[in-house]
Amino acid sequence: MERRLTENNGKDPAIEARGLTRTFKGDVEAVRSVDLRVSEGEIFGFLGPNGAGKSTMVRMLCTLLPPTDGSASVAGYDVVSDGDEVRRSIGVALQEIGLDPVQSGRELLELQCGLYGITGAAGRERASELLELVGLTDAAERRTKTYSGGMKRRLDLASALVHQPEVLFLDEPTTGLDPASRLTIWEEVRSINATGTTIFLTTQYLEEADELCERLAIIDHGEIVAEGTPEKLKGDLGNDVVTVQLKGADPAKTQAAIGELPGLERVVPAEDALALYVEDGAASIAAIVGRLHAAGVDVGAIAVDQPSLDDAFLEATGRRLEGAGDGDGEDLGVEQDEAAARVLTP
Amino acid sequence: MTEVLLLGRRAVREVIRYPEATIPTLFIPLFFLAVNIGQVSKTFPSTTPFLNGQGYVAFQLPVSLMFAVATATTGLALVTEIDSGYFDKLLVAPIRRTSLIVGRLGADLVRGVAASTVVLLAGIAFGAHVESGVLGAIVCVLLASFFGVAYAGFGILVALTTRNVQATNTSFLLFFPLLFLTPNFVPFDRLSPVMETLARLNPVSYVIVGIRSLIIDGWVVDKILVCIGVILVMGVVLIGLSLRAIKTYDS
Repeated sequence: MERRLTENNGKDPAIEARGLTRTFKGDVEAVRSVDLRVSEGEIFGFLGPNGAGKSTMVRMLCTLLPPTDGSASVAGYDVVSDGDEVRRSIGVALQEIGLDPVQSGRELLELQCGLYGITGAAGRERASELLELVGLTDAAERRTKTYSGGMKRRLDLASALVHQPEVLFLDEPTTGLDPASRLTIWEEVRSINATGTTIFLTTQYLEEADELCERLAIIDHGEIVAEGTPEKLKGDLGNDVVTVQLKGADPAKTQAAIGELPGLERVVPAEDALALYVEDGAASIAAIVGRLHAAGVDVGAIAVDQPSLDDAFLEATGRRLEGAGDGDGEDLGVEQDEAAARVLTP
Repeated sequence: MTEVLLLGRRAVREVIRYPEATIPTLFIPLFFLAVNIGQVSKTFPSTTPFLNGQGYVAFQLPVSLMFAVATATTGLALVTEIDSGYFDKLLVAPIRRTSLIVGRLGADLVRGVAASTVVLLAGIAFGAHVESGVLGAIVCVLLASFFGVAYAGFGILVALTTRNVQATNTSFLLFFPLLFLTPNFVPFDRLSPVMETLARLNPVSYVIVGIRSLIIDGWVVDKILVCIGVILVMGVVLIGLSLRAIKTYDS
């Protein structure tokens, strides 16, 4: 089997998709003609809400689901014609934690080693190494059904690493985890990537994409609607974003009242809110409050912040990402450090 | 081959660690054995010609062996694995997909040998005598166990095609007509003409007749060969279909 690798800014593509499409029965288009290039050694994020097509994309790249159109290669091998080679090159932790409740953590990892040809003493040694890596040595002899959600996720991650894969697929690796477990997984993802493993990570958490990913694509309704580094995606939006909560006020009237504000780059309607992208948020607040007051438009809270990935998502899709601002970021102490938000009520 | 052994060992471990899944499958054959003997042993005393001097327990024992080995256990274990996501984990490993089935069937053989040995020993404790001797008893256990392996192909097929726990569980009920449209209570020639025709069309009849011949008559080669032939054909068809189902799973 000959590997086919092409140049990509000096780096080989670990993952490449060309017009990748998956249609299910009833003409449901889960993934629509996706083009994608992920370089070797990169952490690439796939950000989108539930049902956007993230898991379908991962299943196609992992050879679990054949595409209905287009093509893709992983580690240089075609996912359809070179499935065996792809499977040898990848590690996978799917959204549903795939663990066997009957086995202990150690037994599960030793079996997984065996399936990748690492048997006997080498398999036992590798299992011990991985248990140590994910901090499960003390629980190694317990059956996995007794593990907490975080422990299961870490063991699942370890089982994806037995053969030191070139490319690691993590499908929503922290969904359903408590904040502390989420931070642990993030640390592990970073340390795995530091060894040179390319990571393709799907998530519906903005802060996760922002924290971990060097580049990311926003997927919505099966299509990539934006792609770039988190900094670029946010930077494209302007310097500051002022969010005006409408609290039932008419969006058109509110926008008309604000009018041609100095430094206003664009206005994006959101659910019961307006996002105003401005050069200087702090300086704009007083003018916005004054204009709304003069026009007799009664709105809710007004907040100023730097553009977030959620703003990038809003810009790309016309709506906020589900689950955004659900408290996860605050719990983790991640987003609030960046935020210099002031909330004013007119 | 290594992957088949590893997966088989895991499936055996599953059987051992979930006795609650195996014990009920032993209770039913033992219950039927006791109830049937209790109900009709006076009707069919040992002087009955087709019993060859034995008690009715010897006649019923093969039916109980069928009950002990023909279970939905493997199909259920597989569909549970699909449900939990572990099956996907195994599918992305660089192994032959068919190993996932063959490994489970290996464990089925181990479980079948254990279950049929228990039932055979229970039958002997109830007074049955294996006319073909110890070797014949071993052949009885092996025939029943391989029948169980062949039948497991059906449960696996249902599990892979429906991916539904309820459907896989209720598929076991299909075995009842197959078991009762047989010479399970009396020989072929004592059945009504319609029942005899149906029983003669039912392949399970020949498995029962073959095992029964080892217990009651000794070594009747033609009956044993037909029994082996039926098990082989069932195995080739049902396991063949389940192997095809896993090869084309999600493709």
